[in-house]
Amino acid sequence: MINLLIVIFGISMLYMATSSRIAAQTNMLRLQGIILCIITIFAHINELDTSSIWAAITSLFTHVDALVGATFLILETFVVKALIIPNVLDRVAEKNNIKRDNNPQFPNFYTLVISTIILFAGFIIASSQADILQNISSLYFGVSVSTIITAFVFIAIKKKLLTHIIGFAMLENGIFLLSLSIAKEMPLIVNLGVLLDVFIAVFILGLLIGEIGHIYGNPDVSQLCNLKDSEMAKDE
Amino acid sequence: MNNYFILDSLNLLFLIALVVVTVCVMIYQGFNYCKSAKENLRYYSIFFLFFLSMVGALLSNHLGLTWVFVEATTLTSAYLIMLHKSKNSLEATWKYTFLCSIGISLAFVGIILLLIGSGSVNSLFYNDLYANATAINPFWLKLSFIFILIGFGTKAGFAPVHSWLPDAHAEAPSPVSAMLSATLLNSAVLVILRLVKLMSLAGLGHTVQVLMLTMGLLSIFITAVYVYKIKNYKRMLAYSSVENMGIIAIGIALGSLGTIGALIHLLSHSLIKSSLFLTSGNILHLYNTKEVAEVKDLVNKNKCTSWLWLLGAMLILAIPPSPLFLSEFLIIKQFLLNQQYILCIVFVLLLTIVLFGIMSTVLKMDYSKDANTETQPVKLPFNNYLPQIFLIVTAIVLGIYMPNGLFELIKNAGGIIW
Repeated sequence: MINLLIVIFGISMLYMATSSRIAAQTNMLRLQGIILCIITIFAHINELDTSSIWAAITSLFTHVDALVGATFLILETFVVKALIIPNVLDRVAEKNNIKRDNNPQFPNFYTLVISTIILFAGFIIASSQADILQNISSLYFGVSVSTIITAFVFIAIKKKLLTHIIGFAMLENGIFLLSLSIAKEMPLIVNLGVLLDVFIAVFILGLLIGEIGHIYGNPDVSQLCNLKDSEMAKDE
Repeated sequence: MNNYFILDSLNLLFLIALVVVTVCVMIYQGFNYCKSAKENLRYYSIFFLFFLSMVGALLSNHLGLTWVFVEATTLTSAYLIMLHKSKNSLEATWKYTFLCSIGISLAFVGIILLLIGSGSVNSLFYNDLYANATAINPFWLKLSFIFILIGFGTKAGFAPVHSWLPDAHAEAPSPVSAMLSATLLNSAVLVILRLVKLMSLAGLGHTVQVLMLTMGLLSIFITAVYVYKIKNYKRMLAYSSVENMGIIAIGIALGSLGTIGALIHLLSHSLIKSSLFLTSGNILHLYNTKEVAEVKDLVNKNKCTSWLWLLGAMLILAIPPSPLFLSEFLIIKQFLLNQQYILCIVFVLLLTIVLFGIMSTVLKMDYSKDANTETQPVKLPFNNYLPQIFLIVTAIVLGIYMPNGLFELIKNAGGIIW
């Protein structure tokens, strides 16, 4: 079940890399958020004693602290990753009237090829180095690492500021999947802090797009090149 | 049960620098920096949050929690940098927030890799990691150190990943630039120092030395290239920060005397650089431009500012009685003790080029004159000089006479690193 979800996560990453419609990309972010939330739930269920329903229920009550923490984390994952971040991005796109990122640095087809190669390489490396990976499933590791790398490719080839934030959100999803892949857990406070920081980062960047849009018109990274040390910048 | 926050000699040193600089910056900007009461409220509350997040980053004893606080410093300072909402400041803020967020995400990947490698340790408290340093798989530890060095190095302004730094420092309001340069960079350096300790306990000190020496020399090289013909004096100061962070990285990489030198360097760089940025605020107020070419005859326009500018520049370039002279002397001595003669020559040559570049710019601004125009003296309020005078006098005193207590503190802190 979880393996299927992770494969879907990988496919959504490929789709994001090739699509140029903003709406499609935010929808994929939503999908990834939901997948991450479900994986978090499963990761916590695995910790329970599931020999019988009764044992599961009693172990729920004996670990109230852990239960509250897990519920909090699952809820926050869902709210931040599946609801707020995609919605904020949608709102920004709507406000600034951005529908597509039409002119990437090179055609979407090549991006598809590159990200497929990255995904493939991620699997190869993860499965060939299984002994170093110790207790981590190579599927998890392969998909999350290739998502992180593809997110960088995504940021490098897209031109709109908004798509850069989408790339950043994708990067954070990859990192979240990587952190889920290790059985060990961060303390709750760290997890909450990380999610909060990511959310605020996306929010601030979204606000910045609005501000930059006021001054520059349609925000595009190629316009943000005033600050330079060279002589050329002065002449323009 | 571990505490999430601790205070030891190492972060006490950083905390002293942070508090002294913040108090001076507050005296400089007063409580009425923005135009309206509403803007003032927002500015000062975010300024305070920025300060708090740095305190959190310095005191925290948990790698994950440190990450949360360091990212929080990025997010709070973003507003401070774009305070004026001009075209350039928006661009600088975008670059700053985006690059630092991406960099810090990489650092988080490093933290997860460390967790993978740490096997049964299952804790990110520094003292647990130190106690079990040899149990961590060296492959994963090396990999995670590289990620963390790049990630927090982005915040610290080490060379290949420094590109946000000149933009953000130049476009931020001067008190904020002072805070960024003198305190924010330090808080990222502290995390790297904690990891350096872990690496040396795990017997991987050599990797650290190679990586940090490379980044440090590259930082100084980049400064030497750009500062030679600089157009914007705030950018010049920002590049000088890159250079000084490079010197600190080199000092740490060299070990023993070099580490003590690096810590002295870090403390005094905070004092002197914040004073210089505050003085650059005076110059910006007097001339209304950041272009070097348009600032002329500063010495007749405002005597005190011109002297603060000149003295600060002399101190930051390690001309005695600067405490930076002491620290660079220690670092060079350690270079010779390690018998790395060629690197030492490169280091000194690059420092000389930087010295020439910055000093010629500063002298030009202070003393060059237009033949036919008479400069009218302009007065500034007293609190625009007082903090810089205090910072510069403190730095000179430290350069001539280092109090025993402080030296013991620095020695203990050096012992914590290696």
